[in-house]
Amino acid sequence: MKVIINKGTIFFQGKFQQLGRMVLDKGKILEITLASAKVKKAKSDHKDKSEANAQVIDADGKFVLPGMIDAHTHLGLEEEGVGWTDADLNESFGLVTPHVRAFDAVKMRDRAFQDALAGGITTAMVTPGSANPIGGQCCILKMTGNVVEEAVVKESSGMKFAFGENPKKVYGDQKQFPCTRMGTAAVIREWLMKAQDYSKKKKSKDFKEREIKLEALLPLLEGKIQARAHAHMADDIITAYRIAQEFNLDLVIDHCTEGHLIAKELGRWKAKAVVGPTFSSRCKPELRHKTFDTVRLLLDEGCQVAITTDHPVIPIEGLSLCAALCVRHGLEEERAIKAVTEYPAAILGLDKKLGKLEVGFDADVVVWNGHPLDVRSTVDVALIDGKKVL
Amino acid sequence: MSILFDSVRLFTAGAFFPGQKVLIEKGKVAAVGSKVLKTADVNIDGKGKFLMPALIDAHTHLGLFETGQLTPGSDMAEMFQPITPHLRPLDGIKMRDQALDDARRAGVAVCMVCPAPTNPIAGQCSILKTNGNSADVGLIVEQAGILVCFGEEPKHTYHRQKKAPSTRMGIAALIRETLMKAQDYAEAKASKKGIRDRNIQFEALIPMLEGRVPMRAHAHRLEDIMSAIRIAEEFKLKLILEHATEAHLIAPMLAQKGIPVVLGPALVPHLRFELRAKTFESAVILMNAGVEVALTCDFPGLPIESLRIVAAMACQYGLDEKRAVNAITENPAKILGVHNRCGQIKKGYDADLALFSGHPLDMRSKLEMIVVDGELFQF
Repeated sequence: MKVIINKGTIFFQGKFQQLGRMVLDKGKILEITLASAKVKKAKSDHKDKSEANAQVIDADGKFVLPGMIDAHTHLGLEEEGVGWTDADLNESFGLVTPHVRAFDAVKMRDRAFQDALAGGITTAMVTPGSANPIGGQCCILKMTGNVVEEAVVKESSGMKFAFGENPKKVYGDQKQFPCTRMGTAAVIREWLMKAQDYSKKKKSKDFKEREIKLEALLPLLEGKIQARAHAHMADDIITAYRIAQEFNLDLVIDHCTEGHLIAKELGRWKAKAVVGPTFSSRCKPELRHKTFDTVRLLLDEGCQVAITTDHPVIPIEGLSLCAALCVRHGLEEERAIKAVTEYPAAILGLDKKLGKLEVGFDADVVVWNGHPLDVRSTVDVALIDGKKVL
Repeated sequence: MSILFDSVRLFTAGAFFPGQKVLIEKGKVAAVGSKVLKTADVNIDGKGKFLMPALIDAHTHLGLFETGQLTPGSDMAEMFQPITPHLRPLDGIKMRDQALDDARRAGVAVCMVCPAPTNPIAGQCSILKTNGNSADVGLIVEQAGILVCFGEEPKHTYHRQKKAPSTRMGIAALIRETLMKAQDYAEAKASKKGIRDRNIQFEALIPMLEGRVPMRAHAHRLEDIMSAIRIAEEFKLKLILEHATEAHLIAPMLAQKGIPVVLGPALVPHLRFELRAKTFESAVILMNAGVEVALTCDFPGLPIESLRIVAAMACQYGLDEKRAVNAITENPAKILGVHNRCGQIKKGYDADLALFSGHPLDMRSKLEMIVVDGELFQF
């Protein structure tokens, strides 16, 4: 069934414009006509029959936006309000766990998926936690579906790595290697090296015994999935970059708390950064330089930047709030909106189908009753693949 | 010894018919019908009584847990090593335990026995008759599948010990890792070179990888059921879902994929989080969708006597008599793959019968006699 959205203010081609109408069909955006466009007066008897039964949404006085994207969350891994039974975030007695997959542990009935829709978010990347130097496989999901198979955009989109305080604390507390940054980097190198050799060995004739951890690292080395590096401190970011260069990985920096201190370098590297959770306290030393300026400073240097809540660190609903706080710290409104729509889509490699309202893109559309960066605004309607989900 | 049940109400073709006779000879059903003329060594006047196939529970830990002895009598869980496909119930069943007698008194003649669900790959499942003196005689199918466990139980077991796996991700990864290794092992074994150093764990998994026996997946929550299906499809395994507390939420999908369900135990409180959606309606929802369903009491999850009760409870929620009786006789026989000899009263079938004083789904009715493999027990 077609959906027609009439009037309202649309975020289209990078700015707010007046919408004439938008038509959604078969899960995609079929047509966008601005109010300013000259439309041939359609004769009433020629009216498209398929539009007779269409669901019509009147957005007059409202704001029509692409569904927001959070490129770094733990949605569904640690179901809210449940406790240990549903805590599936960190396989923290494993050290190197590239073979664990967030996809196998996401619980679609987590209340947070509803909250995400209410916050205007329609797509999110879900990653294992940061306890392990090599933590496991990330997936990309839309925010609706009975089982995770119905929500999937990518079953395995990236490999999680963690640098800095988290892994060294988890294993240091267990009185195990690694308990330093040197050790963390060494473990990661060791396994990437093994995987490279494994890849060569696998091509030989008499190769027999597969090793699931190394199998899981092959798509990473082949550039089919991204390296997602949890790194807060500037030095950790640079270590991640160093390793990515050594092994020719497609790197995304997650958190990137001190990114602004090395903005020039990151700009030169055309770095991809998913910045946040900035609206949290400086609860550990590596967060001491946290600031809402980071997003702007990195964008100015030519980095690709997305804003993240790192749900559940900040509840997922707070994504638009985080973008608004960046505006308070000097980021232009348009770029702030792009940093939760277009830019995360590009970082996730989905810029051909998600993150913008454009003909042919997925019909993930959110109608807000006010300006999306005004904290008082609420989501009136959320559509995913052209289906009303809120 | 031959036995003749005379003038009973017999459960056959989906209903109880009065005035029927059943003749048992040499441990098998020799004749069924109203016109059986032969006589037998033992004649039982079954006037007003109900005769049905003896009950089958397709998921128990019968004989592994010894009455009144949680330790050391419990041989249910090898809980300090997460991968144990080489465990066999045969080596842990205590045939003279009170539970076996209780099972007979409950009208149960056939049980699937499996290890406890503490391990991601927990061990072998076996099918046992409740008579006999030793498990070697009582086991009718020694290798009836491998129990593979998802969700809270394995997660809790190892998280508590501060070991992997401690998340659902880790459980799935560990199962995949082991199956992958076993696949490669099987391939190496089949190659010209063969294998010198056998690995008992992989050896135990080969029948499942070859599709000869099913993966029996302990899973309550929807997400865990989906993980089981995902892994079964990746490795092309036959799948049976055990417990499947939330299976009713995806009933049409299970019907379409042809995945049978051993459902229960429903007669417990919502003790754990993964049981939150538990309902007696599951059975009727699943059956209406076309899923093969057997009901279980998961002894010692519930006492073995409750098998009849869970069937009757399902009737409260819309299941009819025929399907309720089938869910504890014919259906579990099919799911266990012993339907050509158990689960029905038919000529040539094993003589497993239960005689009740009244309708078996009426809890006031008493089990008066059970025949297991032609052996008569009277209570």
